[in-house]
Amino acid sequence: MPLPETILAASGPRRSRLSHALTQNIGLALVVALLIACVILYCVLYIVTQHRLPGGFELTSTLNNTMPLAFAALAQTLVVLTRGIDLSVGGVIDLTNAVAALTLMGGPVSTTLWTIAILGIGALCGLLNGVLVAIGRLQPILVTLSTLSIFQGIAIRILPQPGGAMPPGFTGVLANPNVPLSLIYIPIIGILWAIFRRTPLGVAVFAIGNDAMAASSHGISVKRTTILAYMLGGVASACAGLFLAANATAGDATTGDTYTLTSIVAAVLGGVSLFGGRGSGLGALFGAFVTVMVVNILFFAHIDPLYQTFYEGLFLLAAVIAANVIGQIVRRRR
Amino acid sequence: MSASQKQPFLNKERRRILYAFLAGIVLFIVGEMVRPGFASPSGIRAILVVASFVGIVAAGQTFVILIGGIDLSVPWVLNAGAILMVTSSLGHDARAIPALALTLGMGAAVGALNGAGVALLGIPAVVMTLAMNGIMQGLTLGLSGGMTCTSCGAYAPPVVQAAVHQSFLGLPIVLWIWIAIIIVVSFLLAMTRFGRMTYTVGNNARASHLAGIHVSGVTIVLYALSGFFSALAGIMLVGFGGQAALGMGDPYLFQSIAAVVIGGVYILGGRGHYLGSVAGAISLTVLVSVLLAFNMPDYGRSIVYGIVILALLLLYGREEDSA
Amino acid sequence: MTIAAVEAVDIGKAYGGVAALTKASFTASAGEVHALVGENGAGKSTLIKIMGGRVRPDTGEIRIGGQAVSLAGPQAAHQLGAWTVFQELTLLPWMTVAENLLLRQEPRAFGLIDRKATLRDADALLARFGVMHIDPRALVEDISLAERQTVEIVRAVSHAPKILFLDEPTSSLVEREVEWLFGQIRRLREQGCCIVFTSHRWAEIRSIADRITIFRGGQDVGTFTDIDEDEAVRLMTGRRVEALYPAMSPAPDDAPVMMEARALSGPNLRQVSFALRRGEVLGVGGLAGHGHRELFRTVFGDAHASGGTLSVQGKEKRFRSPRAAIASGIALVPEDRKSEGLLLRMSVRDNASLAILKRLTRFGILKPQEERRAAQHVVDSLRVRTAGIGLAVGALSGGNQQKVLLGRWLETECQILLLYDVTRGVDVATKHEIYELVVALARDGHAILFYSSDAEELAHLCHRVLVMREGVVAAELRAPGVTAEDIVSAAVRDHRAA
Repeated sequence: MPLPETILAASGPRRSRLSHALTQNIGLALVVALLIACVILYCVLYIVTQHRLPGGFELTSTLNNTMPLAFAALAQTLVVLTRGIDLSVGGVIDLTNAVAALTLMGGPVSTTLWTIAILGIGALCGLLNGVLVAIGRLQPILVTLSTLSIFQGIAIRILPQPGGAMPPGFTGVLANPNVPLSLIYIPIIGILWAIFRRTPLGVAVFAIGNDAMAASSHGISVKRTTILAYMLGGVASACAGLFLAANATAGDATTGDTYTLTSIVAAVLGGVSLFGGRGSGLGALFGAFVTVMVVNILFFAHIDPLYQTFYEGLFLLAAVIAANVIGQIVRRRR
Repeated sequence: MSASQKQPFLNKERRRILYAFLAGIVLFIVGEMVRPGFASPSGIRAILVVASFVGIVAAGQTFVILIGGIDLSVPWVLNAGAILMVTSSLGHDARAIPALALTLGMGAAVGALNGAGVALLGIPAVVMTLAMNGIMQGLTLGLSGGMTCTSCGAYAPPVVQAAVHQSFLGLPIVLWIWIAIIIVVSFLLAMTRFGRMTYTVGNNARASHLAGIHVSGVTIVLYALSGFFSALAGIMLVGFGGQAALGMGDPYLFQSIAAVVIGGVYILGGRGHYLGSVAGAISLTVLVSVLLAFNMPDYGRSIVYGIVILALLLLYGREEDSA
Repeated sequence: MTIAAVEAVDIGKAYGGVAALTKASFTASAGEVHALVGENGAGKSTLIKIMGGRVRPDTGEIRIGGQAVSLAGPQAAHQLGAWTVFQELTLLPWMTVAENLLLRQEPRAFGLIDRKATLRDADALLARFGVMHIDPRALVEDISLAERQTVEIVRAVSHAPKILFLDEPTSSLVEREVEWLFGQIRRLREQGCCIVFTSHRWAEIRSIADRITIFRGGQDVGTFTDIDEDEAVRLMTGRRVEALYPAMSPAPDDAPVMMEARALSGPNLRQVSFALRRGEVLGVGGLAGHGHRELFRTVFGDAHASGGTLSVQGKEKRFRSPRAAIASGIALVPEDRKSEGLLLRMSVRDNASLAILKRLTRFGILKPQEERRAAQHVVDSLRVRTAGIGLAVGALSGGNQQKVLLGRWLETECQILLLYDVTRGVDVATKHEIYELVVALARDGHAILFYSSDAEELAHLCHRVLVMREGVVAAELRAPGVTAEDIVSAAVRDHRAA
């Protein structure tokens, strides 16, 4: 091929890889910094009040308390990336939690099969949301507000009273109370997210969140992508329900309710843009840890637990405002 | 331009309001068939009183949804309002007026903070009002010591209770209050400069800004109104029940949004009328009462509720294809 | 040039009752560069959107390689070897240049997208087409408009298209980038590709196009291999150039200064100074993206200057918002009337009265009769064609929408009008009315700052023209005797030196 006649030459050296990586993942960088700050503050408070370093027990319980929220935040992120919002996350957690309470007390084979079935239930819930949004052309916030009510109702029908029990093996794997086994789920989530980002579906989810029109003009099916994103979100919510059941060693058809809002909090703290197209599951995971650490910090700071939500709310606002300001500064410096 | 492009009297918005009212009437008939006396004058009055609480919250929600926002802080602004009302009045009529002013002022101030966060700091409405709900919950629980404070058990002043329970010209006074609110809010939206600015900001905030509209000012006032109406609903509810309780605001978030949307207010802003939200609040309340008449348990109501809202949305709430 | 590579036959398309295309046809062959020219609003962009599969025609037929085709979407066109660079770019803003270039054809490793290889391939792709100044790692939102346009072109060209449609590809490019693009186009032509493009710059059309099809009012009026500009303009506008433009009002050289900017600076704006006199039409010209937008926004209080001063009628002003500017008697008709000007779903009345609401209210309550009267006045005095003032303004044609927007400001007591590309997407007849209005307003004593992407307009309407380049006033041209060529050459001159 002949060389082109005119070359648009570079005017200067390119910015370094690191500089790109940092500015493009500023949300992730901020949440990691926030998490580190939280951990340090937590350790200081712990030493001051308990006169020793936090140990294995604290690590284990923090991890086990965080995992349900981490999955819920992941579910929220998948949907928010498509410019949607999923208010039914709490309902799916209630539902899967209730089903888990009734079905998991069998042998290992039955438990495994039911676990898979419960993930399938999550996928079905997501499918319903996705179809109503993509094909029914309804606003995500209205669809998921309605399905939240439906899922909550079904959950209470299935498990009217808190109860049921979890087989020790199930608890031992998902929320081991003795050793910080849940640590392994962090790299697992990280790897799963990295894989997702590298699949055509992952690219499509980001693309439709960027600009659905432009994405579809490049052959990305907006409907299919939206439905799959809600389904994956449903599966992640089901995971949250399972982890919640394992941690509580019993089922409760209402404990999932709070996760709708906290999943949004964790995703926002993790740098996921509510306007779609920007953010990462890793950020949401760290956001979930920050959310739980803040509760721990308030506890060791001897804050009256009645005031807990007050400080959480203030913290959320402060974090969002700080992220805005830092984002603008980074932007302006380029 | 041909005459066919003129707007028919029953345009899409008005049709939706009509549908929402018709749904309410049909449900009344169904209720009457299930349990005779359901749609008797006293039955209707009782349902309308319950609907008025949703309707009052929905007034505020209508304002913010008209500019494409949302107010998730309703539950605990309402709850805080209810508790502030009883603790500041201690059940004395003499203190009712300052207590009312204090409570409504608190609601408006909290709402204004929401608006400031959204308009001046650029925080998404979902995040801002969600955080505010947490803040109000923490403050309410903390300051009342988890409702253990001595004044927390106080009753609403008798005047306030009377306003809800007593009748005037055959209608409970609370319904007269609601009618007044309907008239004032509808007038405000349709006939005033402020109402016009609300619609223009909801239609296109950027164009409104460039036409010299004080967009952030309008936004702050609208959120303040939403906080005001949440607090007012809290006052009405303590008047109705006599005492305040924790969690009494929780049902009103979902119901107020549902009422607004069923009434045809566009969730992304710019279109809709309060009358629609009123119709939505009434039909939702009748629906719940009918389900109760069927002796349907809680879970069933929750499921039917969700399905009915989805069905109504699919019927007429379709997103338009283009702008 | 025997087989037509692409043919449009009698294409018609209407939006909400307003015809964008009535009977548009053209034929282009393999190895040919074919220019589609016409006024703004002649339907070229709509035609390109239809050819690219983005919009479905109401009537008519598209033939590719002699076969009638029905394009369900851009994908369908791609499968037939037809690629399009639309005017509204289709890059994803929060993804990298590399991700955008290789969207849906990313290199894989173990079934997953290989991000390192994506970057490498994107770098190689850009290098293959001689684009060395764009970093594939950069986010699209962080690169300039011209760079985005370049990326979009590289993406289309990288598919070795048989047919390439380019809608105004040079509008945001500077001279050197235009040269690069023409190099690419020539190479594609040698390879037998059929290139169809639209442009407003006559010199470019002359230098690259083999044939030219001229459009007017939604249909083609002829295809030519050689045509001089005057003749082309006559065909495009349907009248002589002189007849399109009204006579200018006398230059008000000693009239009082209404607005004066001294060394105004800000983002993309450097040391801009000018004085605008009563009764003057001061033109602002130059290539897109060179600071006009920022200048208008800054003067109107919508963006904040980082330096310099602005004074209105001798008083120094520092507008914190458009509201403050409006209070000082300034009005802006913005660039994009749909997203920045009008409330499309609201009525003509609501749109027309928006800027004078305060005057139409007492104790905060609107006076409906007075409002109706004011709106009717706008409709009558500007001859807005509408079924009534209750009709949603979005249902009107582009020209009538623009009239409502102008009328909104004329109802105010504004004395300084900032008009930003007011004739874009407006039919020729309305354009003519707008020109007459501008001249009449100037004669009335209004001071008008007039930006246009159409150099011809500037040359015919303005007493003086400031040509901006890279945020600086690069030249000031004085009527009479200014031609469109002067303006364009001042806009691109010495670019390498600057």
